[in-house]
This record gives sequence, C-alpha cells and structure tokens, in this order.
Amino acid sequence: MEERPCAVLLKFPGTNCDEETARALEEVGFVTEVIPISALKATSLVGVSLVVLPGGFSYGDYVQSGRLAKLVTEQKIGDTLKEFRDNGGYLLGICNGFQILTQLGLLPEGSLVENASGRYQCHWVKLDKQCATSPFLTHLPDQFEFPIAHAEGRLVTATPEEAKAYRESGAAALTYTDEVNGSFEQIAGLQDESGRVFGLMPHPERFMNAADHYDPDWQSGVDGETSRGSGYYLFRSLFESVTSSN
Amino acid sequence: MQEIYEISDRFIEAGDANELLYEPLKEGLTFRRTRRYEIDFDGDKKAVKKFVKETLLDKISQEFHKGEKPALSDSAFFVEYGMKPGALDLEKEAILTYYRGIEEPGFTINDLKIRQRIYVFGKAADEKVSDKFVRDICNRAIHNWSVIQGNV
Repeated sequence: MEERPCAVLLKFPGTNCDEETARALEEVGFVTEVIPISALKATSLVGVSLVVLPGGFSYGDYVQSGRLAKLVTEQKIGDTLKEFRDNGGYLLGICNGFQILTQLGLLPEGSLVENASGRYQCHWVKLDKQCATSPFLTHLPDQFEFPIAHAEGRLVTATPEEAKAYRESGAAALTYTDEVNGSFEQIAGLQDESGRVFGLMPHPERFMNAADHYDPDWQSGVDGETSRGSGYYLFRSLFESVTSSN
Repeated sequence: MQEIYEISDRFIEAGDANELLYEPLKEGLTFRRTRRYEIDFDGDKKAVKKFVKETLLDKISQEFHKGEKPALSDSAFFVEYGMKPGALDLEKEAILTYYRGIEEPGFTINDLKIRQRIYVFGKAADEKVSDKFVRDICNRAIHNWSVIQGNV
C-alpha cells in the first residue's frame, strides 16, 4: 500500500482555519495531524513532510500579528523548523501563518503590517503567478483568484528596493494583479531560496471547489476539470512536489 | 526601577481621524497610533531593553523610543488609554506568559502597563474636541485614560 505523506498543522490560541486547511490537504492526498503549540516538541516533526501554519489570529494578534506565535514557537522548539526545512521539509503559511513564517525568518526579510486602507479587508483578489517553478504553484494558471481576509497583509521591506529585488528574483512568487492593501510591489506571497517555504496572504483552502466562487458559472479550465477551485490546484501542486521529492 | 518604551510604525501613514468617531468632525484631523510599555522591574536594565527589542519591536516596520518624551511631535493632542488596574489585559498576560518561559532573563518584571496612544494632528476647533475622541475610543467600564493637549 502506498504511504501518504504526513502534514502537520500547528495550532496556536486564535488559529481558526486549521480544520478547513486539514480538509484541503487530505483531499489532495496528505495525512494530517493538528498539533496545538502547547503539545509541540522537536520530535513532533519526525516523519513529517509538510508543516502548515494555518490562518487565524494567533494570540489575538497582540503586539503584532504573528509575533507571539514566533516567540512561543522558538521557545518551544528552537530552530527545529529551520532544520526541518534544511532537511528537505516543506512549510506553508497561509494568512496569519504567512505572518508567522515571516517573523520566524523563514522567508525573505519583510514584515506584514496594517493594510494601507486601515481596515480589515475581506474580498476576492486576482493574482499573478510570478514563479512558474514554485512547487506550490505548478498546476495553477498564470492568473487566478483567491479570497483574502486580513487587516495586516501589507508586505513591507526595510527599503522599497528590497521588494523590487524579490519580484525580480522570483522570491515574490505571487503578486496581486491590482493594488489591494499597499503591499510593496503588490506582493501577495513569498518563497524562500529553496522554494520549499511559501507564505501567502490569500486563502487557498477557501476555494477548493468551483462552487465556492462568487460567479456561479466559474470554471477553472485546468485539465478540463470543472468542479475544482483554484485552491485545489495549489494543494495538488504541493502534494505532487512533496511525493516526488520523498 | 521603571523603563518606558514607545513603539511607533514606520510605514503606516496618518489616517482620517473621523474613522475613530461616530460623529464626523469638519476639521480634517488625522491620527496615528503608538503603543507604550511601562515596565517596573528589578535587575539588569540592558536585559530589559534587549527583551523589549526582541519581543515588542519589529525592526523592519517599527521604531523604538525610550523614555517619557512622546514618540511623535506636532500633534494637536493625544489620548492615552489602557486597561484599568484589575481588568484582565490579555495582551499583557500573553507577554508575561512568554516572559515567564524565558530561562534566566536577567531581570524580574514586577509590573507591566500597556497603553495605547492616539496622536491627533491638525487644527482642532477647541480643546473639547478631544472629549469626542475619548467618548468614542475609550470604554469607561475597562479603560482609564488621559489627554495631553498641544504636544507641539
């Protein structure tokens, strides 16, 4: 019997997208386990192929979104996530998970701050795939839509030139087609140099089916499939990358 | 001993102050927020500063101000508010829980007060304008506050 790769979802107080993200991962073939941060140990990641930091409001976004989650994670397991990546593991951060990965220093240097609108934004956005070779994006078309839901999703870098460099190098693997939240270079998602660590503000797990889309006639047009949403193809891309590298 | 730190944002521009009010004003005022931490402690001052920088400051997007002097100048006034003594401050508890998990931090926190500051910029019609901000921002049941006029 074929062994399915294992994905661990880390759950902090305030994480609230773990169930639907686990469901999305299982739909494409992963075995999943949700681990509360209180139960996390360095050994929890043995035999795991993917660590996911789902969306939500970890620790109430106190101090800054993702900050306390970063501090507590380091306190609990030190550099284990970095070692996990260095040993070939994959990491995905969605929304608050992206903020946490950024704080942990697992992605190119940047920070996710309050939207330029000063408001929580919850709507659909169009996205451009900037890195066709990203293991998270291979099955997605050059342009697609995902929903966003965040107050602190504006990616800033110490200087605007750094963000520009991310776009040129492909580190900014995903960008908004239009101005959405004031992100430098309209960056919606970042990947690290290995390509195995990826964070994005939009929520792929909320668009697993065509029926999730606001247009009832929407079809992905990918592989002649009509019932799948774009989120499915992100998780499917990831599953195939993980299984081909195992 | 006490140390005071105020953290301001580098990239967040002043917003329309009417967003804070139920009843818009005509003055065209703007605002910015900061967060102020008052730490009563025993032990090594440098260790406290290191803790604040590592825990409460984002080096990319925020700036760090030490001491009593307000972080931002040229405001018409600012409202400073925080949780009343005895009210449950979840942010404070989250920070202290993390602090308690640090092995040998080099200092002991006796008390931590977290205050929000709303700096309002522009020409307010009179000093009573600040009352409207207090009314709509502060919750009398859980907050205490002060207003500092003319921080120019």
